[in-house]
Amino acid sequence: MPTTAASKSARPWYRSRWFIPLFSLAMGFVFLGIEWSNGHLTRGLEELAIMAAVGALFAFGGRSETIRGLRGDGSDERFRMIDRNATLLAGFVLIVWVIVAFLVEIAQNRSGSPYALMGAVAGLVYIAAIVWQRLRG
Amino acid sequence: MKNLVRELRSERGLSQGQLAQEMDVSRQTINSIEQDRYTPSLPLAIALARFFGKTVEEVFDANDSR
Repeated sequence: MPTTAASKSARPWYRSRWFIPLFSLAMGFVFLGIEWSNGHLTRGLEELAIMAAVGALFAFGGRSETIRGLRGDGSDERFRMIDRNATLLAGFVLIVWVIVAFLVEIAQNRSGSPYALMGAVAGLVYIAAIVWQRLRG
Repeated sequence: MKNLVRELRSERGLSQGQLAQEMDVSRQTINSIEQDRYTPSLPLAIALARFFGKTVEEVFDANDSR
């Protein structure tokens, strides 16, 4: 066991300070390429500008704990707990949304697609994650 | 969880930022521990206790966990 918590120093590559800014920029170029290929160059440029702005916010977001935690270089065990709880809440809201949307769809005598598949995937992933983590101890 | 981190840190004349640097966590995490708003992991609790030359039980009061 380490003498210090060593929770920030051993960061995986995707927790590098530049990962989220560069990922945002890369996604902006992907959006631009798709929009351009569909004949919507202006819209693609707008989307690129938005993603570049998001990337810049993360890259140069100053000393905000939220920004530093999200991009990785300010993340420690407490922030990871916050991150897990936030992910849990987002996942919970998404699953409730999918269930309600599925019920609305079938109530209107429709197939429930694509919400049935989304719910099934979420349910299967949840069960698989439970089994995987139980086996790992 | 009640703890003596603030008192021990002050005795040694350390700022929250300096202790955070020693523990490799953020200053906000040290502040949250001192305010009893965050219970540290076992490795961090041990690291804090070792840093102050105390046992975990001397630094953290397990009978007052929230």
